[in-house]
Amino acid sequence: MVSATKVEGEYSFLSKNSHLDQSEGVKIHLYRFGAEHRNDKLKSLACSEQDGPSLLDTILLSQWDNFALKGHLDYDVTACQLKVIGGGRNFVGQLNNKWNPFSLKEYDKFLSFTCLKTNSMKSYEGLLLGIAQGENDRPEVTPSASPPKDGLLVIANAYPVEYGHIFLVPSAINQLSCYWDKVMIGLATKISSEVNNAAFRVFFDSRTSVVSGHMIFQACYFAIPLPVESASTFMVYDGNGKARSDIIVSETVDYPLKALVFTSTNLKALVSVVSEISVSLHDNATAYSLLISNNGTKVFLFPQVKNLVTGCCLSAWECGGYFVYHTKFGFDNASETEISNRMGSVSLEDSTFEDLKHLCCAIADDLCKLMQNVTA
Amino acid sequence: MATSGAPGPDDHDHDHGHGRLASSLTARYSDWVLEALDELPGSFLLTDPALPGHPIVYASGGLAALTGYAPRDVLGRNARLFQGAATDRAAVAGVREAVRTHRAHQAALLNYRRDGAPHWVLLHLAPVFHARDGTLLHFLAVQVPIAPAAATRGATCHAPGPLLAACRDEARVREDLPCATHAGKVFVDMDKRGLEAEEPRVASDREKEMATSTANNIVSALNRYSKLTGLVVSSKRCCSIGIPALSSSLNLSLGRIKQSFVLTDSRLPDMPIIYASDAFTSLTGYSREEILGCNCKVLNGPGTSLEVLEEINQHICSEQACTVDLLSYRKDGSSYCDLLHVSPIRDASGKVAFHIWVHLDMGAKHDFNGLAPEVWLLGAVGAVRVAVRGCQASTMTA
Repeated sequence: MVSATKVEGEYSFLSKNSHLDQSEGVKIHLYRFGAEHRNDKLKSLACSEQDGPSLLDTILLSQWDNFALKGHLDYDVTACQLKVIGGGRNFVGQLNNKWNPFSLKEYDKFLSFTCLKTNSMKSYEGLLLGIAQGENDRPEVTPSASPPKDGLLVIANAYPVEYGHIFLVPSAINQLSCYWDKVMIGLATKISSEVNNAAFRVFFDSRTSVVSGHMIFQACYFAIPLPVESASTFMVYDGNGKARSDIIVSETVDYPLKALVFTSTNLKALVSVVSEISVSLHDNATAYSLLISNNGTKVFLFPQVKNLVTGCCLSAWECGGYFVYHTKFGFDNASETEISNRMGSVSLEDSTFEDLKHLCCAIADDLCKLMQNVTA
Repeated sequence: MATSGAPGPDDHDHDHGHGRLASSLTARYSDWVLEALDELPGSFLLTDPALPGHPIVYASGGLAALTGYAPRDVLGRNARLFQGAATDRAAVAGVREAVRTHRAHQAALLNYRRDGAPHWVLLHLAPVFHARDGTLLHFLAVQVPIAPAAATRGATCHAPGPLLAACRDEARVREDLPCATHAGKVFVDMDKRGLEAEEPRVASDREKEMATSTANNIVSALNRYSKLTGLVVSSKRCCSIGIPALSSSLNLSLGRIKQSFVLTDSRLPDMPIIYASDAFTSLTGYSREEILGCNCKVLNGPGTSLEVLEEINQHICSEQACTVDLLSYRKDGSSYCDLLHVSPIRDASGKVAFHIWVHLDMGAKHDFNGLAPEVWLLGAVGAVRVAVRGCQASTMTA
């Protein structure tokens, strides 16, 4: 009754107290979305503030902290100092001498992993959760012996850029990529919506996150607001004077990196427009990053040109205004000017950006017409 | 809830309701307190969190001038009646949190007059405590109209309308008591009055000062008429002196977390509890006033393993997390099997600021959604890590 028990065990959910332990061979927790769970409609005004954390939020945090507790992380990212960089834009700097951007390129592991037979899954501690569509009204967590056929796997990043850093990896890779891109954007946005936590952001980088034609999203909890989220915006499309559009397209004003912002409480409309544009950018071989924030109601698109000096693009969180510094010197001397210059060096030319803006408005307008025809 | 046209008083309930509302004040102050409050300028009301529905027990004449609700329209009702469709949810959540944690708070709110017209007010909320034992007696809410941004500059002091002398007997007419369940729900509700929001307004320094000075006048009037056996009321709770209050944004984030936990401040002597969740107060029976400032050892009792406590201590000293089984005691002396997780929590500087203690009563029924209980506990830990990581050490306390 009063003895200490070390919490041990290879796998958290095989613990003696778990509900899952009866069935031998259970290897994965599968989170199933509620069927069309308040997706297409405006979220009830009251729900976001009054309710506590959502089920998905709690499970992600539980599983991630458990992964950290067992010592699988390379470092404790919460021990890395954060600061808001002076100058008015509130760029955020993190001092982290262990973070290595190349660690993000371990995608081979995921691919081999997702192809593996189910009995090998036990050997992979980083697998936190499977996520798939569900048929019940409410979201639920069920034990599963195999990865979801049409969903994704949540895999912890042992080199986190922030607390709760995860990869969202498609669980089946032998599907047509153009179809899967839309599915992945849809799932990523829906996860953002169901986590329903303002700190949770989902992001995607076209240069580093496409493996064999498949999109891999990432996500983590940023405790501090990202500067791009509070940047001024100018609306460029809201339905062209027709009946109220489900989607609003804006561009950032006075932000050093040109960006487009898609806002909608209609998840399907938002996903349709963003995936159309992603396909176009992909076909044009244009590098871009996506940042999904505000509980899945806002998507930032950062088109980028390759920096001629460094040959690098910025990652989605850098586009959002969050930078990691490897040295104390770099951290102490971080300045808004230096960051603005880095952003400016990958920002599109005015004319190219105008073209992209028109393309986005046209796609949004097509979708708007289509939806009105459907409802008419 | 009806927004206007208060139902006629029910004769049978009349005396009972009237007596209950009036005694909320007269039990603690002299009979002259109502006259004294009526003399004071400004738009304000007092609510009693101890009564069911957290009703308004006093409304000033100035409130009638500002909102169109005469005192008899609002007495016995919950103060959320002033809110409406376009009232900002986040601002309301901040007010709710202040009520829940018994803290003073100022917020700009879009309220609605009795005729349905929206208007911007600065709400100044202050808890009123019994000075000796720190029990919460009332909440004081002052409303100051916020002038439009353009008009603020150079405007002369915008005093509330002339004071209406409220008739006490008239004011004591009872109306339907709302049956909200607990004090935390006060001041908030949505009336579907379909009016569009205008530009959000920000209160000027002048308006903020006015709200604060009005509130101070009221508290000193209450002090003068206090008959709590010679004790005075005070807007500062005495028992929590020395325990820094957390910033309102941190309080708001922590308040969403459903698990039973406390935070202790590792930088203060004896690691006092500086935050306790609602689930913790219902698990242990201790009220927030009782537990804040205490050390976690108040939960220990006969049979609590000293070895386990020593193990926890060692983990705290080495900044490590640990999960243990422990025998813990509630306030009423009953014991329970406690699955306890203790973990250091770091702020934005990367240094340990707090320790979180998540308690789980293993004897109670829980839905862990297929996770092991010791993993389920960590959901609260993760949420607290994110909330505290967003806080600069200097802004953590308010």
